[in-house]
Amino acid sequence: MSAPSFVLETDSAAATRRAGGALGTAVHAGDVVILTGDLGAGKTVIAQGVASALGVSGHVTSPTFNILVVHRGSVGLAHFDLYRLERAEQLEDIDFWGVVEGDVVSLIEWGDRFPEALPADVLTLTLEITGDESRRIAVSASGERSSALAGAWRDACAGLDGVAVPGGRAPR
Amino acid sequence: MTVRLRHFAAYDLQAALDIERASFPEPWSPVMFLGELRRSDRIWLVAEQAGGRVIGYGGVMIVGDEAHLMNLAVAAGERGSGVGRALYDELAARAARAGARRITLEVRDDNEAGVEFYRGAGLEVEGVRPGYYRSGTDALIMWGDLPEAEHRLPAAGTEVVLAIETSCDETAAAVMRGGTEVLSSVVASQVDFHARFGGVVPEIASRKHIEAIVGVVGEALDRAGLTLAHVDAIAVTHGPGLIGALVVGLAYAKGLALATGLPLVGVNHLEGHIFANMLIDPDITPPLVALVVSGGHTSLIHVPEWGVYHTLGETLDDAAGEAFDKVAKVLGLGYPGGPILSKLAAEGDPEAIAFPRAMMRSGDYRFSLSGLKTAVINHIRHEREAGREIDIPDLAASFQAAVVDVQVAKTVRAAEEHGVKTVCLAGGVAANPSLRETLRSALTEKGIALTVPEIGLCTDNAAMIAAAGTWRLRRGDLLGLDAEAVADLRLD
Repeated sequence: MSAPSFVLETDSAAATRRAGGALGTAVHAGDVVILTGDLGAGKTVIAQGVASALGVSGHVTSPTFNILVVHRGSVGLAHFDLYRLERAEQLEDIDFWGVVEGDVVSLIEWGDRFPEALPADVLTLTLEITGDESRRIAVSASGERSSALAGAWRDACAGLDGVAVPGGRAPR
Repeated sequence: MTVRLRHFAAYDLQAALDIERASFPEPWSPVMFLGELRRSDRIWLVAEQAGGRVIGYGGVMIVGDEAHLMNLAVAAGERGSGVGRALYDELAARAARAGARRITLEVRDDNEAGVEFYRGAGLEVEGVRPGYYRSGTDALIMWGDLPEAEHRLPAAGTEVVLAIETSCDETAAAVMRGGTEVLSSVVASQVDFHARFGGVVPEIASRKHIEAIVGVVGEALDRAGLTLAHVDAIAVTHGPGLIGALVVGLAYAKGLALATGLPLVGVNHLEGHIFANMLIDPDITPPLVALVVSGGHTSLIHVPEWGVYHTLGETLDDAAGEAFDKVAKVLGLGYPGGPILSKLAAEGDPEAIAFPRAMMRSGDYRFSLSGLKTAVINHIRHEREAGREIDIPDLAASFQAAVVDVQVAKTVRAAEEHGVKTVCLAGGVAANPSLRETLRSALTEKGIALTVPEIGLCTDNAAMIAAAGTWRLRRGDLLGLDAEAVADLRLD
């Protein structure tokens, strides 16, 4: 199937967080979102926005050290960071599939490290540093579920301060 | 409504006084409570609701094989819900573990509900003290048998504790006598396991912990020259950390406890880091402020007394050690490269680049290191775009100074605000020479002492878990065999 894809442009860390918040209003349990991009590109900032929209109390910090942190919100939020993993087989050690297939929203930083191990239907966000604070976020969906999520997110971004969706609203 | 029982701390006094005054015609004074709380032959607990409201308390004195219930009360609106009985049962169980076989108490002759309550707990009236109370009221003396203790606690001072730590990357075990004497401390990554156990390299994988743990525990006992028969208790890290790693250590510790019948003690990993300071100076006494900085944690903690922790602030994003590791990665120094980065920093100019001091003026104790990481990345990008070479030592020194400045400023302010004379540094980043020295000189200026664990005990190890575990053991604070690892276990 053809995966609708679009691009978001944010002009500040606050705007990137707002875009994450909009994603948080669009996600449902079972959704899997891959976050890729260099160190400092804003992956954890997106995750913080999603968490805040899901009503997660407490701070969402970088899970690099712990690899997986599950937050309790209106739905569970499984926040992965695969940076420190070396081989796909280590995913089994952290019960990756057990968590991702559970009743949670999964955000996976550095998920592109093991593309072969990811579920088939995922939303992939590729973050690129375009200036000191500005970021370009390329969004692509790989299946029906993630396409629906992409559309809902794109709609939710309309009118957000500092968040541009070149190309305007998604066609209905 | 869930109610938890915990240690009665000095700051619970006002809540207890309110309940005390509403419960008894001749209430205890604040001085009477405080006199009790600082004695080592007493066990005092409070019952706390989920929101933090204290709704009951009780305390017991232990003299040889007898326990004396000093006081027990529950807030007026909360009686009849089983809170009083839960408090009594826990005090009785802890008294039994501390060696008591019988329990006694005095209750007012006219307090029918009280007498009934203690009858329900198995006590009987065995005597009267005429005119015991100031008002002239008689006291009934009640006695009862304590439940047979599942575990009798060893005498404090010589107890041998075997500790296990697997909260993240390291498989570690240690044997300790008397709470501060390290008989052995084995960390898998520091052992030549290739020669001895066939190439086991500890890492994130729980499977690797499973492969290493038997050898590491055996090695710790061997180096201590002891066997399990000499051990008095098992201590284990039950959180926070990576769940798949935590469960390996906890399951192994539970198995040992079940097989040997030894008591099991659960330790919070961060509490362990703070206790590492006790191994360098056993006389450290709270109140103190602890700064725990590592690859996974950046926390400023006020410790009014051992076992009581108030987290003043934590990082909002990256941990300090993580920031070092990630900046090292950006500079092409590998990952994790924090230690290499701090070595290079020693050769650079800390004022070469003005990196932001995030949260420096936030007025609270929270930290943020993600913005600094981004500032470093932006600096590198700008320099490369301008075609300039990056002076890595200068960049490393300037980055390190930005991290250290904020940590030091907040720690000094926390120590001053809470009026403590001791600060404990802990965690892997405590090995950073710049942080140690800058913090020491800033604190010395204010007349505040700094303790820092030996380098080998800053990073994850089990000796620190043994130290904290021994302290918990002495309080009778044991972990059930049904306990689960808690990835986000809180210290507070």
